[in-house]
Amino acid sequence: MDKSTIICRCEEISLEEIEKVISNGARTFDDIKRLTRCGMGPCQSKICNCLVAAAINEKTGTPFHEIPLPRMRMPISPIKLDTLATNSTTFSSVKSVLDEVELEDGKVR
Amino acid sequence: MKAVETDVLIIGAGPAGLAAAFETASRGLDVTVIDESLSLGGQLIQQTQNLSSLPSDLSPMRGFELAAHLIKQIEEYDIRYLLGHRVIGFYQDGTIGITDEVDVFPVKTKKMIVATGAAENAVAFPKWTLPGVLTIGAAQTLINRDFVKPGNDAVIVGSSDFAMDVALQLSEVGVQVKGIVEKSTGVLSRNTEKVKQVNKIGIPIYVDSSIVEARGMGAVEEIVIKQEDRVFTEKADLVCIDGGRSPILDIFYQLGTSFGFQKELGGWVPQYNKDFQTDCKDVFLAGNAAGVSTQGALVLTGRLAGMNVCEALGAVSKETAAVEKKGLWKELEIVETKYNLDIWHARNRHVDNFTHPVLKDQFIS
Ligand SMILES: Cc1cc2nc3c(=O)[nH]c(=O)nc-3n(C[C@H](O)[C@H](O)[C@H](O)COP(=O)(O)OP(=O)(O)OC[C@H]3O[C@@H](n4cnc5c(N)ncnc54)[C@H](O)[C@@H]3O)c2cc1C
Ligand code: FES
Repeated sequence: MDKSTIICRCEEISLEEIEKVISNGARTFDDIKRLTRCGMGPCQSKICNCLVAAAINEKTGTPFHEIPLPRMRMPISPIKLDTLATNSTTFSSVKSVLDEVELEDGKVR
Repeated sequence: MKAVETDVLIIGAGPAGLAAAFETASRGLDVTVIDESLSLGGQLIQQTQNLSSLPSDLSPMRGFELAAHLIKQIEEYDIRYLLGHRVIGFYQDGTIGITDEVDVFPVKTKKMIVATGAAENAVAFPKWTLPGVLTIGAAQTLINRDFVKPGNDAVIVGSSDFAMDVALQLSEVGVQVKGIVEKSTGVLSRNTEKVKQVNKIGIPIYVDSSIVEARGMGAVEEIVIKQEDRVFTEKADLVCIDGGRSPILDIFYQLGTSFGFQKELGGWVPQYNKDFQTDCKDVFLAGNAAGVSTQGALVLTGRLAGMNVCEALGAVSKETAAVEKKGLWKELEIVETKYNLDIWHARNRHVDNFTHPVLKDQFIS
């Protein structure tokens, strides 16, 4: 496939950029995401997930069942901050991303 | 909006979710159905083709007729519908975060049936992001649900049963289908009758072929196709991508279920046992989310998940449940083997793998 082909359409990341980070050692979707922003767009990797897995498979020969899924965080799909910061009194919905950090002996796991 | 407490929360109101709603509500459980769309029926709404492999109690009918049937079946029960609502995530104490796009509010449930369906996979080629390139399902939605003609000259990329159905439906509304491009050496559709119809109306199917690129200024205007050594260009203002479908997994991922990989079921699938129960014991699943299959099978998996939830909540006796479940699995075998034996085998392998999943504890990364 032509290297200029867009793989992540939300963030406009090309096959060339994805292959470059794979040759630098990226092995999972999340590795690639951290290095390129691939998967960080409005669709939250729903569109590029399978294309990235195919690129990893093609470039490294890793079988599909050994390429883990991208991490899917809350909120599952985009939501207005206004809505998230709901005035519902029964429920505190706003959570800091830090709530997800897990500590072990005072250090981040 | 106030907090909701319920016995059974069903996420997704497609064929699987509606079938599960009937099983649970008809046995007296308090059922809540949530769907982000404003109507019931999920993807069945735009399916105008005749469905042949349905469970034995249903006569052959079209997709939207099946939706109407499943909706009518639950009319008399007092089900709580949260339409136009989305699940946005889960909290540590098991509370489910729901939004109506104005507020976020909590739902607490004893059991949950996740029937969120499948999403279409992309196929990338240079300039596939041009306007006019759609998934085949989106094209079908536009013509059958929204009555919008998405283009005049179409090329379809992929040759599944679904592609054949939509090729015929596009032709019926006056879209000229210029060709179907398939990268494998043969047509993927197993429905020989449909393939014959496609041939009969003169739509060429190019096997062993691929898309070199799409071209156009601001929108797709033409598409370059490569078949063996031949490269040719078709004028097209509509390109429909049929890249197959994969289960929608975000809800399962957040819940922390395990996953297993089964190519025939659409790739990664939440791990579940014979009771359609995941390794989070209060979470059941059904429909395409449990492996991409045919509508008849989706309805049956919905019934199975519903029956198991009824048993878990004591709404049916163990003995009754055992008899019902045996019958439903038998029907599932009949419907699914008739549709595609590979899918039936993959489902069984997947269920057998329940005790040794491939992807586990992925949330801690
Ligand atoms: C556009 C399109 C057209 C299709 N046409 C055909 C066809 O012609 N032939 C064929 O064989 N198959 C077709 N399919 C496949 C189709 O997925 C199945 O036939 C069937 O509808 C799946 O049933 P289901 O109950 O598993 O999921 P669905 O019918 O998809 O129902 C799942 C429901 O869950 C809801 N949902 C998902 N996530 C959330 C959330 N976080 N919060 C709240 N609600 C949520 C969705 O809105 C949806 O209504 C099509 C798929 C698509 C995408
Ligand atoms: S296509 Fe990559 S995030 Fe949407």
